[in-house]
Amino acid sequence: MSNVQRTWTINGKQTKLRFPPGRRLLDILRDDLGLTGSKESCGEGECGACTVLVNKEPVVSCILPAGQLVNGTDILTIEGIEKKRIGRVIQQAFLECGAVQCGFCIPGMVVAAYALLIKNPKPSVRAIREALAGNLCRCTGYTKIIQAVKLAATRMPQRK
Amino acid sequence: MKITEKMKFEFPPTLAVALRMQANQKTRGKLLAGGTDLMVQWASGVTPPNRIISIWGLPELNLIEISRSEVLIGAGVTHARMARSPELKRHLPALTAAAATVGATQIQTRGTLGGNAANASPAGDTAPALLVTGGWAVLASLAGVREVPLTEFWTGYRQIAARPDEIILAFRLPKKNKARERFRKIGARQAQAISKVMCASRMLMDDGRIVSAAIAVGSVAPTPIRLSAVEEYLAGKKLTNPVIAKAEALARAVEPISDIRSTADYRRWATGRLVRDALEALKTKSRST
Ligand SMILES: Cc1cc2nc3c(=O)[nH]c(=O)nc-3n(C[C@H](O)[C@H](O)[C@H](O)COP(=O)(O)OP(=O)(O)OC[C@H]3O[C@@H](n4cnc5c(N)ncnc54)[C@H](O)[C@@H]3O)c2cc1C
Ligand code: FES
Ligand code: FES
Repeated sequence: MSNVQRTWTINGKQTKLRFPPGRRLLDILRDDLGLTGSKESCGEGECGACTVLVNKEPVVSCILPAGQLVNGTDILTIEGIEKKRIGRVIQQAFLECGAVQCGFCIPGMVVAAYALLIKNPKPSVRAIREALAGNLCRCTGYTKIIQAVKLAATRMPQRK
Repeated sequence: MKITEKMKFEFPPTLAVALRMQANQKTRGKLLAGGTDLMVQWASGVTPPNRIISIWGLPELNLIEISRSEVLIGAGVTHARMARSPELKRHLPALTAAAATVGATQIQTRGTLGGNAANASPAGDTAPALLVTGGWAVLASLAGVREVPLTEFWTGYRQIAARPDEIILAFRLPKKNKARERFRKIGARQAQAISKVMCASRMLMDDGRIVSAAIAVGSVAPTPIRLSAVEEYLAGKKLTNPVIAKAEALARAVEPISDIRSTADYRRWATGRLVRDALEALKTKSRST
């Protein structure tokens, strides 16, 4: 299949790419660009390990045919989020709450938490649970992850 | 190389171009919207088609138009957009509640209403909510636009009334007005679970009597269905305990199958309970979904 060309903003940087349009966004991020923070676990949209933001919306990159993303699409991965103030606040809260065990699910969790907090800086526990419902964790039992997002919310900068 | 990298993709810039491609057998391809059904099917070994026509992002499919008595929702509108729209929630609360239960946030941002309907899984969550509106699917082809009543849209297991040259443009849905709507889904967990049974209802009450009842369920038959026998029984009845009990019993007449998600017995029982729940909710003043 012939390649398509796209120019996206990835983690704030303009990036020009050529790829077969059916290539999964996850493969472009991990294999073409070396952004290996996004993980692949199920490969079927179920677990959220591959969550990234496309135009500020969380998506699962393992079932996203990248050709559908037009020029100018804004993509934010965990590598971009951890450089942002809110991203660091979330990471710090995860550390303090002991919310990380093996860590495989955590990049996706942090991305999903970030997507929530930039829209709703004072979320209810219910809103947190809903925002993370698409992210599975085999280790922690979720309680500490929810606590961490709650803690991060108390430290959100006043300005969104 | 992943299997989807071998497929030929077309990205028609407008609906007109897409319709032209679909009109001709040689250029026709498999329509791809958000891909949350198709990409998973291909990843799990279903042979992918050679040719893909991507309709994701087509402006003509992304409209939401609210008129006096109806809402027109483009087939390309995502579940996330529906679930977040206060206006849709006011006029079609069962549909927005159903959209909010599709997968989880990451699925709702890509999954579309048209994709959910066209995929035609008996477990498609938005179908019962569409059915109770008494609305229409709007189908487009080069030959023109036609409307199919939603009660005739799902024609068999994973089959819909659209022809191969047609694209679902939108859904034309009467507002609930004074009626009350409810949507409940039973799955293994609250998120990311395919429904064992789900039920949408739209009921109009006047002075303690049911003026009209529309009740639809999914996952209990090859297609989503309206429970006409229950609806007919309820019309004109006062909402008493014996009436509710009789409606629950009538609802259990569905003929579901047993599969990995649930048993036929459980599904029959749960269908009855969901109908009871919809009726009991009418007694309270609380929110309608
Ligand atoms: C993890 C996960 C969880 C899920 N959970 C649920 C759930 O809880 N409930 C539920 O109902 N579904 C669920 N789904 C299924 C899926 O997300 C929905 O059915 C979604 O609405 C499909 O929309 P799409 O745009 O992604 O469809 P696509 O995959 O792009 O297409 C699906 C089908 O629709 C056809 N199609 C798409 N648009 C049109 C159109 N305009 N005209 C004609 N044909 C069209 C395609 O050709 C294809 O046959 C889940 C999926 C995943 C991966
Ligand atoms: S790897 Fe993408 S959702 Fe599991
Ligand atoms: S910490 Fe191991 S999967 Fe979540």
